[in-house]
Amino acid sequence: MTRRRLRAVAAAAIALFWPLSAVGQEPYPSRPITLVAPFPPGGVADLTARPVAAALERVLKNPVGVVNKTGAAGAVGMQFVATSKPDGYTLLLALSSISIIPEADKIFGRPPAFTVDQFAPIALVSADPTILVVRAESPWKTAKEFIEDAGKRPGQISYSSSGIYGTLHMAMELLSHAAGVRLRHIPTPGAGPALTAILGGHVDALASGPAVILPHVKSGKLRALAGWGDRRVAALPDVPTFKELGYPDAEFYIWAGVFAPKGTPEPVLARLREAMRGAVADAEFKAAMDKLQTPIAFKQGADFQAFFDADARRLADGVRKVGRVEDKK
Amino acid sequence: MLETLGNLGLGFSVALSPPILLYAFVGCLVGTMVGVLPGVGPLAGISLLLPATFGLDATRAIVMLAGIYYGAMYGGSTTSILMRIPGEAASVMTCIDGYAMARRGRGGAALAIAAVGSYVAGTLSVVGLMFLAPPLAAFALRFGPPEYLALLLLGLLVLAYMSSGSMLKSLAMAAFGLLLGMVGIDQMSGYFRFAYGVVELGDGLGVVPVAVGLFGVAEILATAGQPAPPEVIKPRLRELLPSRREWRESSAPIARGTLLGFLIGILPGSAHVISSFVSYAVEKRLSRRPQEFGHGAVAGVAGPESANNAATSGAMVPMLALGVPSGPIPAVMLAAMMVHGVSPGPLLIQQQPALFWGFIASMYVGNVVLLILNLPLVGLFVNILRVPYPYLYPAILVFSILGVYAVNGSVVDVWIMVAMGILGWLLRKLEFETAPIVLGLVLAPMIELSLRQSLAMSDGHYGIFVQRPIAAALLAVGLTLVLMNLYAFVRRGLDWRSRIAMAERGEDSS
Repeated sequence: MTRRRLRAVAAAAIALFWPLSAVGQEPYPSRPITLVAPFPPGGVADLTARPVAAALERVLKNPVGVVNKTGAAGAVGMQFVATSKPDGYTLLLALSSISIIPEADKIFGRPPAFTVDQFAPIALVSADPTILVVRAESPWKTAKEFIEDAGKRPGQISYSSSGIYGTLHMAMELLSHAAGVRLRHIPTPGAGPALTAILGGHVDALASGPAVILPHVKSGKLRALAGWGDRRVAALPDVPTFKELGYPDAEFYIWAGVFAPKGTPEPVLARLREAMRGAVADAEFKAAMDKLQTPIAFKQGADFQAFFDADARRLADGVRKVGRVEDKK
Repeated sequence: MLETLGNLGLGFSVALSPPILLYAFVGCLVGTMVGVLPGVGPLAGISLLLPATFGLDATRAIVMLAGIYYGAMYGGSTTSILMRIPGEAASVMTCIDGYAMARRGRGGAALAIAAVGSYVAGTLSVVGLMFLAPPLAAFALRFGPPEYLALLLLGLLVLAYMSSGSMLKSLAMAAFGLLLGMVGIDQMSGYFRFAYGVVELGDGLGVVPVAVGLFGVAEILATAGQPAPPEVIKPRLRELLPSRREWRESSAPIARGTLLGFLIGILPGSAHVISSFVSYAVEKRLSRRPQEFGHGAVAGVAGPESANNAATSGAMVPMLALGVPSGPIPAVMLAAMMVHGVSPGPLLIQQQPALFWGFIASMYVGNVVLLILNLPLVGLFVNILRVPYPYLYPAILVFSILGVYAVNGSVVDVWIMVAMGILGWLLRKLEFETAPIVLGLVLAPMIELSLRQSLAMSDGHYGIFVQRPIAAALLAVGLTLVLMNLYAFVRRGLDWRSRIAMAERGEDSS
């Protein structure tokens, strides 16, 4: 193509699309989309966001980039998306903590960094139940023994978590309340340090995601007692759920979902939902999630909204029950 | 032993295959650049490059990421020595004596010694990693919050050795640093402390913006404030190499730094930063001429630079042997393995021998590559000092701002750097030293968290610190050190610090 012809084509293209874009009617998507992961690279949010972005890119035939906006347990990135322009070009890959942070802000009486209703849910990507593990040499062989012993010795059995009001903390709190026991909480700065604490014998128990605990269960260092899901985890078919054991309120998932800011036009949201449906069916996406040992749990529309609402209610309840630590003293 | 050597043979056959060699080289090169850029440390470098490794196979990805990690430790010393800007947090100590050496025209020597020290430390600690990984990893896990607190309190004693001038002033600065470390979300209760509604302050003040501000920006402001610009240093070629005396004086610090760095690096937490602080203090205490520290003592470069390199290999021990991240950087590397379907954990060595031994062997190769890469670069980098200040300083400021911004993509970090630069300049005018502030800032959150975790574990009983043997032993060492110093102080009325102060004033105490 000669230079003159190129220029002519460019001019024609501009002439064609100019009036459309001028009145904000450009076809969506027509420029790169940013998917914000509010946690550092290497974490669950980041590792889920990368294959989601790659699959969306293939479906939408439009660049989708992941940006890590980290800080304050995810609040920085979530606030960034909550207040960004609702045009479908800034999306959020959030974890369960999106429902926890505003509640924690509330009980401290500080202005919330964001609220849950600032987001429009697009799709749920994965939802892994946490699994209760203890060290292999510990006396508890079943969840029943663990709970009975915890009932006899209130506040004596300790567990580590990824931080106060963090996902691993909330899972244990929901169990404590469902079973009516009191456990001792040792917060650590993340899921990695929480795992180190139990492997080193500094705490007795831990609730964490299947992908995190599986290698150590397989090597015989940790024993899995029960899961928080509504059904058993495929990789641990012998491990019962708390629901089976008679604690239906002990239900908790570390989930990952895609959100847009509230106010994003409905046609754009519809296009994104459709694209997400294509993305989770993408073979490469499936292979990537398989390697992360995270089963895809796709939900969207009313299903996702119902799941999100129920989860947010459970977590808000959990945070309120924990309350402020210093008020307990 | 024989089996290990056989395995290592397998490892080298992997590591020396052209593609792996290429990725190791690329990793080392990127690491050096990441280290040289002010502010951008290995964590930022690895995080930025992690997505790029998703298309590679697991061994290539992990070899390249590790190359970035230890390569950054080589590069981190460059700007510390030449411009008093820490390339990454573990190079803060190198700023003090390395920059002083550069001012005396020994910048090339300092760079060469840092590179050789890093090479020795890197290589020896891989030997340690190879033979001792499983037993050491098990030991490292026994280091819980009480043990960590005891170690950190020892680190706090290091503060006493950081200054050559007024003890009171340096303690005041350390206290200020500890207070700065209180900013951010309280890990135990979820409170936002001193954040004033700025969500970005939730994670506290970053070590990198504070260190770049206090050292680099303050230095630039101070130089710009002089009535006549300082003379441009013109290094001559034969001055690039360390003298025989400098080699002799750095050999023991390199050995000690290697051992210290490796042992501290194994421990869970961000230990590699502390390793350089501790090494500096040890060298100053053991030195026959402690008065030279702060004025270009070669041991003050050799020790910490070796320690931070050895600590990177140490940090790999729990990661490879147990699948447990010992800090943020190994955590990212573990994630990289998971992305490739390699499940990290205690079974890694048996299930993935080619990956494990290839990785070990690539670290030997990588350290050689870095030495070959860095020694000729010394001649190049030193020439930066020839650039006249009116051109050099604005360029450095631009790179500092870019580097600090790039770490978190946060403008708040840039403002922290600017504020700390002005503060650092004022403190220099008032003859306060700023290194204790950085140490305080590094230590405060760790001390607080481990103290409160320990007390949560024991339900509030302080007995936990003496009931656990490792913690009790470390605390006993700390107590002995304090008592020894007190004894000397009471007996002679003078300790070595006052002798230094007197020597600096031109009085002779001997």
